[in-house]
Amino acid sequence: MSIFQREDRSPYDLSNITILLAEDSQYMQTLFAAMLKAFGVGEILACANAKEATDLLTVTQARRTSRYVTDTDIIVTDWLMPGGSGQELIQWVRGHESDDVRFLPIVVVSAYTTELVASQARDYGANEVLVKPVSGTSLASRICSVIDHPRPFIKAPRFFGPDRRRQDMEFRGEDRRRMKAEEIEVQHGR
Amino acid sequence: MADEENETNRVEMFEMSHRLRMKIGCDPKAEEEGFLNPEALEEADALIEELCKECPAAIAGHLETLADLWGRMRDMGDGPERTELAGDIFTTSHEIKDFGAMCGYDLVAHFAESLRDYIGQTELNLTAQRVIIQAHLDAMQTVHRAGLKDDAGPVAEELKKAVKIAIDKYR
Repeated sequence: MSIFQREDRSPYDLSNITILLAEDSQYMQTLFAAMLKAFGVGEILACANAKEATDLLTVTQARRTSRYVTDTDIIVTDWLMPGGSGQELIQWVRGHESDDVRFLPIVVVSAYTTELVASQARDYGANEVLVKPVSGTSLASRICSVIDHPRPFIKAPRFFGPDRRRQDMEFRGEDRRRMKAEEIEVQHGR
Repeated sequence: MADEENETNRVEMFEMSHRLRMKIGCDPKAEEEGFLNPEALEEADALIEELCKECPAAIAGHLETLADLWGRMRDMGDGPERTELAGDIFTTSHEIKDFGAMCGYDLVAHFAESLRDYIGQTELNLTAQRVIIQAHLDAMQTVHRAGLKDDAGPVAEELKKAVKIAIDKYR
């Protein structure tokens, strides 16, 4: 398990990382902010819904001074929020004209227990999905995952987001893909 | 025509750099995955535990709020105030659901989610609302009084059945 301590290595220092936290419940927002603070995250921008999150992202983008530094590094968002859902936030981010925004890693935290929401969130372009109840370990593992495994982004006619394939498994059925791997244009993202 | 079709079906892949690893001062090419300080994880778990100690009292408070909102809304005619109260019921049940799900109170979270979804979708000022909202409220109060957590088991199934009957009959 990657997030547990190794004797010969130091833990990640997240003091240089900024996380945008979108969570409508005051209790949950306070809890997640405190957990992220405990992880040593340098700055936490908390807001209550997608509308506030997009406003914050717009403002932080505007104050960006170096092309190597963005003010928000990771987005952690609830799925269902009155006033603008996680789905709306992901759509806004993935559809943004700036590469600094549209490639941002997004972790969805949901109290829904169905696979449907997890699959919907990935289809809209979430990098990771975390289902409540959340533990310190599960939240940390998602944060470490977006740091350690920046998955390639795919731009297809009806999708823009991290590659949804997580495993290279042998498939015995009929190959119905319309493109061959060599036909996919590879570019360099952020 | 073929070119247009190719353009429409075009798929691009963007290889991503290890930007965040670089930003936190780590080797972007390191093969091993990173980790967070185990003490930080313990601290985070302690925060959850602390919050969950407050969960029963918080749910009780939210249920009182729900009962109050419903008491004001039940016999009210259609209008902006009723819509506003329905919005407050939506928000309060959403809060109960989040809190319950976070702290393992799955049964109360189940009914809160069901109520939130119902009031979020239904037309207002229906006779059906009286039965369905009341059924949810009764179920949540019973669950809370009995200290039930799991959303499985005979009592849970019985309560779920009662609410489902109300929904199916009056929707």
